[in-house]
Amino acid sequence: MKRILDWVDERLGAGPIWKALFARHVPEASGPAAWFYTLGSASLFVFTIQVVTGILLAMNYVPSADHAHDSVQFIETQVVLGRFIRGLHHWGATFMVVLVLLHMLRVFFMGAYKYPREVTWLVGVGIFLLVMGFSFTGYLLPWDQKAYWATAVGTNIARQVPAAGEAIGLVLKGSEELGMATLARFYAMHVLLLPALTAGLLAAHLFLVVWHGISEPPSRSGGPPP
Amino acid sequence: MRTPIVDPERRPGLSRRAFLTGAIAAVGGLIGAVLGGGGLGYVLSPLFRRHGEEWVDIGRADEVSPGAPIKVDFTVRKRDAWTTVERRASAWVLTADGKQFIVYDPRCTHLGCPYRWDRDLGRFLCPCHTAVFGVDGRVVMGPAPRPLDRFPVKIVGGRIMIRPEPVKSERS
Repeated sequence: MKRILDWVDERLGAGPIWKALFARHVPEASGPAAWFYTLGSASLFVFTIQVVTGILLAMNYVPSADHAHDSVQFIETQVVLGRFIRGLHHWGATFMVVLVLLHMLRVFFMGAYKYPREVTWLVGVGIFLLVMGFSFTGYLLPWDQKAYWATAVGTNIARQVPAAGEAIGLVLKGSEELGMATLARFYAMHVLLLPALTAGLLAAHLFLVVWHGISEPPSRSGGPPP
Repeated sequence: MRTPIVDPERRPGLSRRAFLTGAIAAVGGLIGAVLGGGGLGYVLSPLFRRHGEEWVDIGRADEVSPGAPIKVDFTVRKRDAWTTVERRASAWVLTADGKQFIVYDPRCTHLGCPYRWDRDLGRFLCPCHTAVFGVDGRVVMGPAPRPLDRFPVKIVGGRIMIRPEPVKSERS
């Protein structure tokens, strides 16, 4: 094993990259405060689970008004471990929102968004909005009563925008009525558009985290502010 | 006196770093096994789905009089994942004694034309290429390469049940 790794390393010279990623210095926090620093990694981990389980679910799901609900029931009752995989995706989605929000609060209250890490923060805000998008589009896909009416409410909220509201609602729904077109475009956004955008922003976010290093917990040791 | 860099009280054996590395590897391995194993089971799901033997009721046994084959139409409901596909199908049913039943696939084994029963000749005749089959299904004449295909059949409570997939007959 070591010889294989050495062989690869000799050709790629990836040692410094590995060091930069996994052997980098992190703030020396201890006690409860140290746990706040795990929220970003936790979000990334849950996102990975969402990707894996999402790919699996897509293998048995059909985004069509007359098949969506039945195909979900098929996953629940016929597919081996289908209920487990769907459960992971369902709860992962909820945890994703919670973790990303907590991560955001951690960064905000510790002032970790400040110079020179403003861009990391802005990219993170973008990722947060994408997670909201995942939640909104994914909620419709089971195509049950809750999914349908939640999306009806969601799209109606979007229609309250002055002047442009009707147009926004129409673009969101894909047609006058919430139906086939809505389900198709929500599915496309959920599994194609949003993951692509998230992959890009996530790469930028992680690069910036490593590039800047993680900020120390705030302290008064630097003296009183001017 | 220089203080020793290494704590003399430190017991030899597992260091903190080694413990954490091992713990992370173990937990990571467990998560990987659950996700990987679960995912694998999910993907391989079709392998584990049991293929139920679906028997179709095609009619009453006492409606078939011995020696007089009749053509029976029936509906096959086939489950396709979460949908059910209905298909009309037919079969030739005959019996010699009212106990043992034979059910033939209604397609000629030559090129799949629907054949008919000729009462006077006591043979099945195919209109397409003049294949002729005996009442036992064997080829009497013509281009058919093998005897008529049969559906597996059983009698349950006076009803004729078949499995809607014909069994290919052996070339004779």
